[in-house]
Amino acid sequence: MPTAFPLPSDLSPATVSNTASLLRIVALSLISGAAIASRLFAVINFESIIHEFDPWFNYRATRVLAAKGFYEFWNWFDPTAWYPLGRVVGGTVYPGLMATSGVIYSFLHALNLPVDIRNICVMLAPGFSALTAWATYMFTKEMKDESAGLLAAAFIGIVPGYISRSVAGSYDNEAIAIFLLMFTFYCWIKALKLGSALFGTLAAVFYFYMVAAWGGYVFITNMIPLHGLVLILMGRYTSRLYVAYSSWYVIGTLSSMQVPFVGFQPVSTSEHMAALGVFGLLQIVAFTQLVRSHVSSKQFQDLLFVFAVTTGILGGVAFVGLTYTGSIAPWTGRFYSLWDTGYAKKHIPIIASVSEHQPTAWPSFFMDLQFLIFLFPAGVILCFHQLRDEHVFVIIYAVMASYFAGVMVRLMLTLTPVVCVASAVAFSSLLDTYVDAAEPEHAEESSEAAAPSASKKAKKAAAQAAAPDTGSTLTDIAAAATPTKKGEKPKTKAIYGLDTRLAIIMNAFGMLAFFVFHCTWATSNAYSSPSVVLASTNADGSQHIIDDFREAYYWLRQNTPETAVVMSWWDYGYQIAGMADRPTLVDNNTWNNTHIATVGKAMSSSEEVAYPILRKHDVDYVLVIFGGLLGYSGDDINKFLWMVRIAQGVWPEEIQEPNYFTPQGEYRVDDMASPAMKNSLMYKMSYYRFSELFGGGAATDRVRNQQVPKVGPTLDYLDEAYTTENWIVRIYEVRKEDLLGRDLKSANAFALGKKRKRSKPVSRRRAIV
Amino acid sequence: MILLPFLALLSFPFSFAATPDSARQQLVALAAAGGGLIKLDSASYDLLTAPDRDWSASIEFTALDTRRRCAPCKEFNPSWNAVAKAWTKTPKAHRDNHFFATLDFDNGQTVFQQLGLSSAPVVYVFPPVEGPRATGRTDPSKYDFSHGFEPEPLAQHLSNHTPIPIPYSPPFDWARWITIGSGILTFAVTLRFVSPILQSRWTWAVGSILTSLIMTSGYMFTRIRNSPFMGGDGSWIAGGFQNQFGQEVQVVALVYGTLGAAFLMLIMVIPYQTSAQRQRFQIYLWSTIIVLVYSILVVLFKVKNRGYPFRLLL
Repeated sequence: MPTAFPLPSDLSPATVSNTASLLRIVALSLISGAAIASRLFAVINFESIIHEFDPWFNYRATRVLAAKGFYEFWNWFDPTAWYPLGRVVGGTVYPGLMATSGVIYSFLHALNLPVDIRNICVMLAPGFSALTAWATYMFTKEMKDESAGLLAAAFIGIVPGYISRSVAGSYDNEAIAIFLLMFTFYCWIKALKLGSALFGTLAAVFYFYMVAAWGGYVFITNMIPLHGLVLILMGRYTSRLYVAYSSWYVIGTLSSMQVPFVGFQPVSTSEHMAALGVFGLLQIVAFTQLVRSHVSSKQFQDLLFVFAVTTGILGGVAFVGLTYTGSIAPWTGRFYSLWDTGYAKKHIPIIASVSEHQPTAWPSFFMDLQFLIFLFPAGVILCFHQLRDEHVFVIIYAVMASYFAGVMVRLMLTLTPVVCVASAVAFSSLLDTYVDAAEPEHAEESSEAAAPSASKKAKKAAAQAAAPDTGSTLTDIAAAATPTKKGEKPKTKAIYGLDTRLAIIMNAFGMLAFFVFHCTWATSNAYSSPSVVLASTNADGSQHIIDDFREAYYWLRQNTPETAVVMSWWDYGYQIAGMADRPTLVDNNTWNNTHIATVGKAMSSSEEVAYPILRKHDVDYVLVIFGGLLGYSGDDINKFLWMVRIAQGVWPEEIQEPNYFTPQGEYRVDDMASPAMKNSLMYKMSYYRFSELFGGGAATDRVRNQQVPKVGPTLDYLDEAYTTENWIVRIYEVRKEDLLGRDLKSANAFALGKKRKRSKPVSRRRAIV
Repeated sequence: MILLPFLALLSFPFSFAATPDSARQQLVALAAAGGGLIKLDSASYDLLTAPDRDWSASIEFTALDTRRRCAPCKEFNPSWNAVAKAWTKTPKAHRDNHFFATLDFDNGQTVFQQLGLSSAPVVYVFPPVEGPRATGRTDPSKYDFSHGFEPEPLAQHLSNHTPIPIPYSPPFDWARWITIGSGILTFAVTLRFVSPILQSRWTWAVGSILTSLIMTSGYMFTRIRNSPFMGGDGSWIAGGFQNQFGQEVQVVALVYGTLGAAFLMLIMVIPYQTSAQRQRFQIYLWSTIIVLVYSILVVLFKVKNRGYPFRLLL
């Protein structure tokens, strides 16, 4: 056998395999190291701090768990959230994340390693990303081989689509969930391949962990049944499938019902019905197989017919009946919004308002997956080429996940693993083909025989360069992939020459290197900002930290009584609870739309309307985010329309979105702003005394690039309490009722007639009168 | 047909001094003449919105004449008529307490000026001033078109102002069900012929790959956001990272498809090539295609994300 380059011939197979496994271990540990290291940009650039919004709640809950133990946490009623309703935390939370950190914390402390709980929370996501890389390796190994597995592990270790939700400090459910997702899938594939109840049970155990950790477990609940169903439809029912699925479903469902937040959903809501249905179908199919092996074929035909008709009718009647009586709950809104994409905007603006629920434009895909995004269809085709049972899984996963990722930005996270797996399969097939040293044996003779057809193919291939139609490529490939068709001896797969190999391999490594640069850039620039602390660059290039959020929260913590209720838009609820430790009206657990709409109404109404609402809810302080001075675009004025919309959903008479636009339909904050806009509490609180800052010059809002009126709004019912260094956070104190029983507006006007100063307390004014 | 409204209009001058009761009678007659919908002019508008009314009214201000070139008016009008028609099905006692009316710009320019309306269509709901349903609120409220021109949200909103909810139900969509039915039938008939195609794995492969390519090119974004196919100035690529036009879906899907196909050629087709010359040529050809198309892709991405620091050949 001729080779393109010399190969060492004096190596025993044992040496080769030992070296290979050593190299694999080294490679995997290096990949883990890279996965962890690339997630540390946030800690290095800023500090070891919890990021964003939701993680602050998880962190707060974990602190309770670490300090008071699991049972206290389980029964924790938090009276400070959703004031005055409170929140039963133990029953409304996925406890997996906190429990994981709690276990790590106890373990380290048992070893006398006094690690702070905050550092565990910060470092949990990078740590689990290393485990994800390993799980992906195991999963891909089942699809192709170890080399593809290593590539997949390397891809998922550094791909921005996964880093975006798992940098150090991003202490959210997704941090551990992707590992659980991949490992559950691995156990499922393994169980299916071996027909092993052990692996089926393992899959169920990890499924339970996943249910306890993330609401996205529904994805597994539907992926595995779908895989089973497709296998049955393809006529690939085996007893292995039966064992794997039954063990997974029974144990997984029973254990998932132990999570209080999930409860009886697995047998009542529609998201879980597919799993139940496929379970029933499998029993029927298994039963018919059993009967078939015991009776003659004619009897079997009749039996099968009767059996199929009865079960079909019974099942249908039962399903309709249960839905009718209400035992099966209607579809939940979040689920609806995945299929009917207009649903959320119309009926549940609160879901539509979340930025991670927006649809995904193509640059996000390229940003998050780079060259994997176009390699992944090639990998899916390779799966079709082999089409073993496990490849069917990857194909279904790829199609479903790419749809979901297109509908919602946050579901990019579920697409990322399958993209890594499929492109690793494609990439390692490429390398396998071109690294292999074997050359075709008798080049010249066979080329003559196959010349006409080959030249045709070449022409076809060249034509495809101009018009890359996937369909014709496929038939071409299909023809090439079924070599024995023409009755000739099977064609061998091999490459001529060394230069061709070098060209391909150089090209491949170039792409990999580009990928690494891209990932590093994307991670350090786009995904490593804590969003609690902002960074800007000074004129000399050095970094300037903007720390207004923590400044304001610590002001609240130190200058207000512990029972002071703070009202803000729901985005900041968890942060206020976590950093300022004060009761909040609404927070990021958006379960009560009416309560949020109440806050929206208070923010978008005039002071006179808002004041009774504030007083009825015992609000002491109102907190708004204002970016106009600094040009921070994520501020409340930019979110204001969502407050209006959500309030409009509950009070369509009183709050109407068009009133906040100018007659020309523009959203303005300057002199042209609509009266409803100018009178709204949010506008007043944002621009109160803003123009004074410019000393009579033109006061410019740097976010909206508009000049705000020279004479700013006045406040009668609120007092400015605190404004941070860069004016990002402004806190107002709600005045108590006037002691003389006047309404605050006339009281203020009266005081104003005597004195110029506006902020003197009422009692002293009375003395002067 | 034309005569009836004219007769009704002729009767107005004699009736203006009448009591609310007789005004109601006239409105009922007008509504009956228009099939549940009163065709207003300036005079009957004043009658309908009389300051001592004990009925409520919802009025559509529109401009249906072709000279006015109001496309939204034409789009909205069928919904309005459907909801007004649904109201005629209610019992007479309730029906006569709320009126549906339409005022065309050409019939009541003065009213448009009076209300300061500069655009159409607009829907105002006038609450009752007197009588048991009066709420103390006299000025009309405006219907917010943020849910579009569809009849369902309109009926739902107006039901808050009518004595009883408007019994609107969407008309049965015959065309849709016939299409679905005939589709299933065609499928069942041709099943014998298409089943080899359906059982071929490559049919499914083409389907899944096309789905993935289209989805990862941002097709759902253009669907959900209703992005235009191309920009108003003829540009086909939208500026901004979180924005895209319909045409970008095609271009990007084509680019991804080309690159994926090139890799497939290198993996699945070229290694079986039996002539050394041809194989070498194809390898270099496809490698060049990969590098070139990838460079184009990076250039496209740079247009969307100006801060992107990397580039390939281009």
